[in-house]
Amino acid sequence: MANFKIKNLNFYYPTTPDTPSLKNVNLDIEEGGYITVCGRSGSGKTTLLKHLKTVLTPHGKREGEILFDGRPLDEVGLREQSSRIGFVMQNPDSQIVTDKVWHELAFGLESLGMEKKAIRLRVAEMASYFGIQDWFHKDVSELSGGQKQLLNLASVMAMQPDVLILDEPTSQLDPIAASDFLNTVKKINLELRTTIVITEHRLEDILYASDKVVVMEDGLVQVEGNPRDIGNLLREKNSQMFSMMPTPVQVFYGVQEADIIKAGPEIESAELKMGNMNFNSRNHNPSGNSVMPSERGSADCPLTVREGGDWLSEIFAKEKPGETRIDRGEAALEKADRFLDADPKECPIVVKEAWFRYEKESPDILRGVTLKVPPKSISAIVGGNGTGKSTFLKSIIGVCRIYRGKILIAGKKLEKYRYDELFRNNIAMLPQDPSNLFVKKTVREELEEMVSKDDPERVDSMGKLCQIEHLYSSHPYDLSGGEQQRVALAKVLLTNPGILLLDEPTKGIDSFFKKTFAGILSKLKEKGVTILMVTHDVEFCAKYADVVSMFFDGSVVTTNLPHEFFSRNSFYTTAANRMSRHIFENAITDEDLIELCKRNM
Amino acid sequence: MKFDSYHPIINLIYFLVAIVTAIMFDHPVFLGIALAVSFAYSVKLNGMRGLVFNIIFALLPPCYAIYYSYYNHFGITNLGQNIIGNEITLEALVWGFVIGLSAFIVVMWFSCLFAVFTSDKFIYLFGKVSPKLSLFLSILLRMIPSVKKKWRAIAIAQSGIGRGPGQGNFFRRMLNRCRMVSMIITWLLENFILTTQSMKSRGYTLKGRTAFAVYRFDNRDRGVVIFMFIGITVILMAILLDQTNIQYNPEIIFNKITAVSYVFYLCYLAFLIAPIILQLAYERKFSKLEMNLQK
Repeated sequence: MANFKIKNLNFYYPTTPDTPSLKNVNLDIEEGGYITVCGRSGSGKTTLLKHLKTVLTPHGKREGEILFDGRPLDEVGLREQSSRIGFVMQNPDSQIVTDKVWHELAFGLESLGMEKKAIRLRVAEMASYFGIQDWFHKDVSELSGGQKQLLNLASVMAMQPDVLILDEPTSQLDPIAASDFLNTVKKINLELRTTIVITEHRLEDILYASDKVVVMEDGLVQVEGNPRDIGNLLREKNSQMFSMMPTPVQVFYGVQEADIIKAGPEIESAELKMGNMNFNSRNHNPSGNSVMPSERGSADCPLTVREGGDWLSEIFAKEKPGETRIDRGEAALEKADRFLDADPKECPIVVKEAWFRYEKESPDILRGVTLKVPPKSISAIVGGNGTGKSTFLKSIIGVCRIYRGKILIAGKKLEKYRYDELFRNNIAMLPQDPSNLFVKKTVREELEEMVSKDDPERVDSMGKLCQIEHLYSSHPYDLSGGEQQRVALAKVLLTNPGILLLDEPTKGIDSFFKKTFAGILSKLKEKGVTILMVTHDVEFCAKYADVVSMFFDGSVVTTNLPHEFFSRNSFYTTAANRMSRHIFENAITDEDLIELCKRNM
Repeated sequence: MKFDSYHPIINLIYFLVAIVTAIMFDHPVFLGIALAVSFAYSVKLNGMRGLVFNIIFALLPPCYAIYYSYYNHFGITNLGQNIIGNEITLEALVWGFVIGLSAFIVVMWFSCLFAVFTSDKFIYLFGKVSPKLSLFLSILLRMIPSVKKKWRAIAIAQSGIGRGPGQGNFFRRMLNRCRMVSMIITWLLENFILTTQSMKSRGYTLKGRTAFAVYRFDNRDRGVVIFMFIGITVILMAILLDQTNIQYNPEIIFNKITAVSYVFYLCYLAFLIAPIILQLAYERKFSKLEMNLQK
């Protein structure tokens, strides 16, 4: 039976022989289980996963042992490992070997030397199970990112592995493709009993499906446990990792904590640790006799929006909350005045009915976009895939030329700019894939390239702002997604732009990097930079944007302040809002929701 | 239903025979047949573009004939002197024309071949020889579009900081392009490491690799193979009986044309024209079926 036992595993990369990348890791992976490994980038997740398949194991010094089915993994032959241990990696593109979908599906089976007839059957099975029939004969280059990753999954599953290991498989996908993919993984686990070991930072999509969650930090397994307990365990350890948890977990413990402070020190902390804390203390007995948990419903930590909503309903079952909205009052009015009713003459970017198509006969991509971006703000454009958001950014920098309408940059028509002029101290764009900006061998050279030689201070101050000073001597390709993002941002900022365009800035970045990134953005805003970003990341917009616009079918449908925008939407909104909309009117972020709960207790 | 719906082996045999015979044969009747059929087939497959292409290449035989006769002076029929005082002979002129014509026919056959042979078929046929080689080809074919895509992405990213391939003065643009080439190379190397990992992870290094293909050899294919081998046998007989070549040096002399010769001509024509006939037959059948549906 397929299972892994990791005993006292230590691992040192040759480049850092003194500091272990994995420290004393002990882990049991049971047959048919769904194990989620999480942790910030660089915590050793990927290194750990790569140890589960010999051909992928990195070079370095290794101590301890890994048992597969009771045998040391190294003694399990290549043939057996190839078919029984499947591995799906992060980048959908670079994993694909061949040029045709059908060939890719057959690749592993060809390696195993299977007969043509047997391969035909197996491939047919896979294509049907994964719904690939429609694009079976297509060229791989015609597929979308989501389809590519599904193909990678299917071609690994074609070898009928007992264990499926996935290393951040959805970091390059948009949210819809990502949750489709993760649902398929869950289906494989439930229907085929394939053991799943996955690292992922979209915890909201997998936490509820997992049997076990392993949290890693600095190469150590910090916490390991059931998904319902993991939040509590992390809190007990006062771990920073807690901020990675999805909204329902955050709110659950956030409210609970507020409760304890209110209730005073009498409550036994042991009870809290058990996860049986009675979170509802509106009628809490001041003498310290806590109400039996059963009276207030289960105190298990909610993992999904539905569970979170049920939990809120339970809290407020007896007594309707008095305060149902956060009154943002004067501040909101002022913001509306400053951002929504900004004078077009002062806006750095004004777009009026812009139309664009790639070729004379092709369909319109932009269909009359009208938008103004207020000065010194963070504006966000959200919307589904293929609605033309990225094309819109390209039209603002003049890579895509609109054929009707007007684009004014700092009050001057786009066509009137000479190319150099537009990009000198004026506008710059951070591309979706930051590595497309990297030319040099080290981060320092990368930055120095952008400034004249006698100006090293600017490089240093930019390095400081973007918090990349410790990376100066690394190769840009060796950095993690979040680090690459910041190096690219620093590089872009060295052109000294007044307007900064960001294309999907949070793609593939974990929640810590997002926070750092948001900090940098708000610093830039203070310095007077206007920021316009295009993103799928609703939570990020809700927290950090000043203005949010919805893009659909080639134009901007609506523009509003984030709390207004998201509290009016019912699908396209944050998890906190979806979880609480039946009780509270305008709780958008986790903090809003916790605040409202507190006020009503 | 085009000829390309048949098994790749059949496509291969057909084009092999067509091209080899076009090179080997210098009998005017055989060349004429090959010329007519290859011309018709390439226009049928490639449409207007094929026609224009063919007309341009049709200049090849006369041009080559003139060039050849300018420097080669065999043969007994003198036609006159050129400006540098060399004799121009009829035999050399005709022989030059024949060589040019063969080349022209081969070019047209190749244009048909590229229309019929998709990359899949090449890879399949190579897979018969060596599975690793065919896989290598497939990887190459995968690389081309992904490099193109990456190039576009880099161009846009670089444009976003004012260093795109179309920005700045001429010197600057060239420099920007050089930067992009260097980026592509770095990326390719990086990407290749990941692809190798993915290949190894799926047992690429195991011994005894097979090659899978989506093609099946069915009864229709068998029928065509039988027909083709009859044709090839007859053509071989023609070669043995020296019916496919004539003498050009020092004098143009034809072999005797007998009743059997006509059988050979017909057979060659039938062999070459088979794909066109098959395609036309399918097209007719289909339009008939559609008409029946509309009734």
